[in-house]
Amino acid sequence: MNPWPVARAALLRRPAAALAMLLLVALATALGVGVLALERGLRQGAARAADPFDLVIGAPGSPTTLVLAAVYLQAEAVPLLPGSLLARLAAEPGVAWLSPIGFGDRWGRHPVVGVAPALLTQGGRLPLAEGSAFASHEQAVVGARVPLALGARFVPQHGQIGLPGAADAHAHAETLVVGRMAPSGTPWDHAILVPIEAVWELHGLGTGHAGDAERLGPPWDAAPGVPAIVIKPRSFADAYALRARYRTAESMAVFPAEVLVALFRTMGDLRRVLSLMAGGCAALVIAAVFLAFAGRMAERGREFATLRALGAPRRFVLAAVWLELAVLLGAGVALGLALGWAGAWVLGTTLGAAARVPVATAPGWAEAGLGLAVLGAGLLAALLPALAAWRRPVGPGLR
Amino acid sequence: MSAAPALLLADLTIAFQGRSVLQGAEAGLAGGAMAALTGPSGSGKTSLIHALAGIERPAGGRIAWGPVAPWALGEAARDAWRRTTLGLVFQEFHLIEGLSALENALLPWRFDHARLPAGAAAAAAALLGRLGVPAGAQAVGRLSRGERQRVAIARALARAPAVLLADEPTASLDAESGAAVADLLLAEAAARGMTLLVATHDASLLAHLPGRWHLESGRLEVRA
Repeated sequence: MNPWPVARAALLRRPAAALAMLLLVALATALGVGVLALERGLRQGAARAADPFDLVIGAPGSPTTLVLAAVYLQAEAVPLLPGSLLARLAAEPGVAWLSPIGFGDRWGRHPVVGVAPALLTQGGRLPLAEGSAFASHEQAVVGARVPLALGARFVPQHGQIGLPGAADAHAHAETLVVGRMAPSGTPWDHAILVPIEAVWELHGLGTGHAGDAERLGPPWDAAPGVPAIVIKPRSFADAYALRARYRTAESMAVFPAEVLVALFRTMGDLRRVLSLMAGGCAALVIAAVFLAFAGRMAERGREFATLRALGAPRRFVLAAVWLELAVLLGAGVALGLALGWAGAWVLGTTLGAAARVPVATAPGWAEAGLGLAVLGAGLLAALLPALAAWRRPVGPGLR
Repeated sequence: MSAAPALLLADLTIAFQGRSVLQGAEAGLAGGAMAALTGPSGSGKTSLIHALAGIERPAGGRIAWGPVAPWALGEAARDAWRRTTLGLVFQEFHLIEGLSALENALLPWRFDHARLPAGAAAAAAALLGRLGVPAGAQAVGRLSRGERQRVAIARALARAPAVLLADEPTASLDAESGAAVADLLLAEAAARGMTLLVATHDASLLAHLPGRWHLESGRLEVRA
């Protein structure tokens, strides 16, 4: 048998109604797909941004605030660590490299962050894309996405951009861009990195070095307080040992990954709520589609009776109805997958740009599975109206 | 085409909506014979046609088309018998809206063929041409009522059935197109040697149908 002409005729007879049903299914699917894809993209983007940061040490307080400041450069009021800790940590045998992180100034939308030279290349692991490391207080290395060319000069501004008078709060020397970091896919791509010594000096805290005022990098024998210290341990064992040793009354040591896991657990709960809402929404929409379809079915009693009278077996009528719904659902789910992925990409890109974390929302199996589940449930449910058509008596339908 | 079967009714009793429309009818129609089924409206002509077509089960008695007693068959076998042996034409055409004339005429093939048999489409197109239906891909909704009934006749004849049952095929047409449809219906049935029974009170049909079955007050009267 070939019930396709009958199913196609039914679809083409009322194209607007068929299109409306298809779009409803597509939107319901897109909602669920979008929630899944966007949540995964955000989670992966945030996790990737934390990848280069194995261990972060800060003053006791909120680990989340510390990670937001050190990893995502969301500089809030972070309490300071005593500078003496820098010298102690630098002497630890388990530390491959470390860098203090000092905030303060901005250039346009870009935070100017004071660091040690080791952070520029992550201890040599990620060579600079261009130029060289800063060699004096008046030089800077920019993140991959900062619109300053090598050789450009700029004047950092104190505090928030746009605050009147803030620009001249203290005198700044012109700073020369001497290098550009390779892209890391983190908010650091948008940062301008200067020697931590320059930040200290600018704020009248000395240079961190008792003897040589021009020296950059460890050891710091006269360091003032710093908001955070990023540490690359030599091994896993070192990482855990360091974390244990620096969880004290005067300092806090966290694995950013660990903090993110806690954050993501909260986010996961949120996702469950969103998924439930999206699922409930999809169920409602598909129920509405079925109601609309059942309404159309009631008007087609004569058509089904005619088919049977002409010799169509019951299963032909069943197949025609099922096929019609299957085409609507299949096209709707396919369109919904595309819409959901596209929507997640647009939203992820927008949110990622705002948070300066690249959010890569690639199609995943989870959404494909959701689409298949909607389709499967819909195809099973489509058997109901199909069976109703199957059961219809022929004679009364013809009169 | 198989030889047109004779129709034999024995002690046939038909009820419609709890009301008896036929009691203990005995009647026969020779293979290839053409007869009209007359009677006042509401006398049960449609019920009788439906019983003869294997669509609505009679309350009692027996219907035989040649060797086949449709109501002794299972439902699937009765469906198969209907689509291969029987052509049906209704007063209100009952075309599938949204399909073209050709697709409507080919519909009976779709019930048990995934692909059309070789030549089926050409035969249906030729038949439509002979019946004077404009060819084209547009849906049947654009056709006139007379043209729609001709498409229905093409559909009834698509699989070259041996029997044609028509229920008031001209009653919803104006006189001119009704006469044209009547001529075409009779010409095709005669050319194919089909057994034909037409429920009608249309004089242009009655004039050409030699046999006469008259149904009134639950009694079926057969005139040769």
